[in-house]
Amino acid sequence: MRKEAPLLITFVVALIVMLSQVTTGNVPGLGISMPVLFERYISPWMTVVSAFSLCLASVNLIVIHSRNVSRKQPEWIYSLILLGSLVLYGAWCTYVQINPDNAAAAATYSLLYNNILSPLMTGQWACLAFYVASASYRAFRARNLEATVLLVSAILVMLGATPVGGVIWSKFPVIQRWLIDVPNMTGQRALLIGAAIGSFVACLRTMLGIERSHLGIGGGS
Amino acid sequence: MDLMTRLQNVDSRVIYVILLIALSLPLLFPMGIPMQVDPMVRAVYDIIEGLDPETDKVLLSIDYSPGAGLDAEVSPVAVVEHLTQRGIKWVAISFGTPDGPMMTNRIIDSLEQRGYEYGKDFANLGYMAGEENAIRLFALDCLSVPTDVRGNRTADLPVMQGIKNVKDFAFVMQFSSSGPEMWIRQVVDPMGVPFATGTVTVSVPAIIPYYHSGQVKGIMGGVSSAAQYELLCNNPGRGASLMDAQSMGHLIIILFIVLGNIGYFMTKDKKQSAGS
Repeated sequence: MRKEAPLLITFVVALIVMLSQVTTGNVPGLGISMPVLFERYISPWMTVVSAFSLCLASVNLIVIHSRNVSRKQPEWIYSLILLGSLVLYGAWCTYVQINPDNAAAAATYSLLYNNILSPLMTGQWACLAFYVASASYRAFRARNLEATVLLVSAILVMLGATPVGGVIWSKFPVIQRWLIDVPNMTGQRALLIGAAIGSFVACLRTMLGIERSHLGIGGGS
Repeated sequence: MDLMTRLQNVDSRVIYVILLIALSLPLLFPMGIPMQVDPMVRAVYDIIEGLDPETDKVLLSIDYSPGAGLDAEVSPVAVVEHLTQRGIKWVAISFGTPDGPMMTNRIIDSLEQRGYEYGKDFANLGYMAGEENAIRLFALDCLSVPTDVRGNRTADLPVMQGIKNVKDFAFVMQFSSSGPEMWIRQVVDPMGVPFATGTVTVSVPAIIPYYHSGQVKGIMGGVSSAAQYELLCNNPGRGASLMDAQSMGHLIIILFIVLGNIGYFMTKDKKQSAGS
């Protein structure tokens, strides 16, 4: 039953979602249509499940890092900082949500968010610019025809995407536009269509119970 | 080690320092390099110019976190400034990340300091869990979010009067660090709502097919699009101030790529002649 029940729920829910897109009439015996069944019952329920999955992720994080701290694993101090931050931000935000009239608490939470968390996250993103500069210097070598095409395209796109490119030569933005609109779009469309077909096949396998790894009971057949 | 070999093996720290200087100097001493406006950016501007401030409202889906950096943050600021200039009311909600409401609050703080009124001119409905499914749920019933981030009942907010589903918004725009596929699948195609997207620069090539198919009416990609938008609005701001730095950064990267390749070809010729 541990295997069958989740598979049955998956199948029924997936069937309702799929049929809700292609049928309009009432379901015999239920008196409501598939779109209504989906919008009124399945859709809100999925939102609740998603919200619970966020809670589950937090619990999982607490369990793993508490274990690191209690066993004094290597770099356990970072686990402690993570737990402290989680509790601080979580508790404060909950208090703000419960007491929306307390403007001082909300302002302090914003202060913590905007002056600690936000600069740390933005700083990480900014570091990427330096890594990308170093990596492109090392990777973009015209070793063969394919690498040369990539190298030339990259330089043209970089020049066309910034104002200085247009100042150097007015055609750089035109060439960049063409590269993005024609060769790039062709490749992207092929990728999108391929990925969509792949997703459909993966969904069908999950719906029919062929793919079971998401239930933690082994891989596909 | 000769010069050509050195050119191929410049220490990363040297690149970092030179790049840092190249990025910092234009921020301290702006050069004002002239910009060309991309048609995708102009499309967003034209849609907002075509809205009627008396009747039309705009929905903004703020789905980025500070981790996406200024590349994601400057575009919504530019668009909100334009909406404010034109007196168009807007509502923000977040589906992609719980950080979204905080990012919206930053924009709202600046407007409130200038006398615009929360609830009447704009509102922040907070984060709705469920991603794609939540988008669909909200699109069908915009009052499915019972309260905003300040605890007000959504149905009582003046800006939400007359709004039942997403079709009651004249224009929907998502700002994220990825793509708009979820909005296209759940709202744009089934409900026919005019939609545009703002994203980080690296995500633009992946969104181009949706722009050319007409599903996405306009794209704002990162700092450069925000700068162009500010230019269209005659309101130069943060985006415009960052563009000189971006230009210099790109030039430095190109310079290092060219130097590396010169070194590569010179030593390659030497190796070949030594081998023959």
